[in-house]
Amino acid sequence: MIAFEHVHKTLGQTRVLHNFSLPAKKNEITCIIGPSGCGKTTILQLLAGLGHPDAGRITGIKGMRVSYVFQDPRLLLWKTVAQNIAFVLQDTVHPAKQQELIRKYLTMTGLYEYRDNFPKALSGGMKQRLALCRAFAYPHDLLLMDEPFKSLDTPLRLGLVRQVARMWQEKPRTVIFVTHEIMDALLLGHRIIVLSARPAAVLDDIRIDVPLAQRNVLQEPLPASHARLIALLEGENKKYFPDL
Amino acid sequence: MKNSSLLTRGLASLFGLIVFILLWQLASGYYHQVILPSPMEVARSVVKLTVSGQLWEQGGQTIARGLAGFGLAVLIGLPLGLFIGLSPLISSLLRPLIVGLQVTPLVSWLLLAMIWLGFSKVPSFVVFVTTLPLIIINTIQGVKNIDAQLLQMAAVFQINRSRLFREIYLPQILPYLLAGVVTALGTTWKAVAMAEFLSVSTGVGARMAVARINLETADLFAWTFVLVALGLLTDRLLSHLVNKRLRHWM
Repeated sequence: MIAFEHVHKTLGQTRVLHNFSLPAKKNEITCIIGPSGCGKTTILQLLAGLGHPDAGRITGIKGMRVSYVFQDPRLLLWKTVAQNIAFVLQDTVHPAKQQELIRKYLTMTGLYEYRDNFPKALSGGMKQRLALCRAFAYPHDLLLMDEPFKSLDTPLRLGLVRQVARMWQEKPRTVIFVTHEIMDALLLGHRIIVLSARPAAVLDDIRIDVPLAQRNVLQEPLPASHARLIALLEGENKKYFPDL
Repeated sequence: MKNSSLLTRGLASLFGLIVFILLWQLASGYYHQVILPSPMEVARSVVKLTVSGQLWEQGGQTIARGLAGFGLAVLIGLPLGLFIGLSPLISSLLRPLIVGLQVTPLVSWLLLAMIWLGFSKVPSFVVFVTTLPLIIINTIQGVKNIDAQLLQMAAVFQINRSRLFREIYLPQILPYLLAGVVTALGTTWKAVAMAEFLSVSTGVGARMAVARINLETADLFAWTFVLVALGLLTDRLLSHLVNKRLRHWM
């Protein structure tokens, strides 16, 4: 179990997390949805060790190897597509295995033919897919994804959601997935955590027991969860825009 | 379209050059050749210096002295710039010194070098002190512009320090360093000739001094052209190298 226990975090003058607690089961996909700026990215950064709580503690992550899909691709512009992935594999994966992994994930995301291109020649969506490849290929125990499908068109997004589901089925690992897209959360999450506006608090914690392979957003029980999530988020928005 | 506009620009530059030479020829008719030699006389001078081997001999010395001072400035300036850029403490400690180095008059360095090092080393030393701040300041600028988000990414993927330096820091500093190198090399040829003029008896600067004393103004012009050509050549060469190396991602 990975858990935030009464965590406080202030960034500059802004109180982002106030007495925040959240358990996440190991080897499950936990989706986090909530209004913009509520502290979702801060939660991921704390899990990745890119900051420390001001008070409270995070348990269960010691010794875990973390992989991260950032909101923006964060690519090395002076390295080719394949070299960007090799960059994170060099010290962790045997050289013979590196090429195999690069080929596998570039093929999976439709980027293999661009392996020798520099990022400058890629579109925004392709760059984001490359960032996904890099995170997937890196050997990890915990995968953090911060709106990874943001700049992708719907068919590509749904395709990649399916790929993540398939990857997880091959080898179940702990995934924390921050998204704005309810549909992505319904297709991928074993648990969906709905957060309030800043400072973040857990509004609802929805468990979906349908196996990933059988999920279809048009079939029960997902539509019921869909409606519940929309109602929750709308309720949150009404606090800020009472006239809507 | 692109080719034709390039051709037009090239022709315009050629036309400008021809007009300049014609005006020069016209003006030289009104003055004695000691005051303003004609383009033809200067060309004759360039040929004479080339055939006699003086151009290569003196030019070679100037290039060697310039590159020695400049090379040393890069060798010392790059690591120093990195340290200053990375450490606020070292930055506070050394910044006044670098600013001091930059604003100290050239003539002070020249005279001090004569006292400290003897005449023969003055040109290389002067090049060193004039180009060192350019290399340091550009390297600092490069370090300051390192993308912090990439450092975060590297931290998550546990990239070790030496790879972090080689694969994240250096490539991002490189464009700034190269810009510094281009400016510094431009300064190098001016500084080395000035120092040779005042301190030694060989090299382009020293031959200019001799030409002035002998009232060989055409030779003075010829040596000036040698320096201009050297500056243009190194600038073009470096720009070409920079474009070749960085065009994929800049």
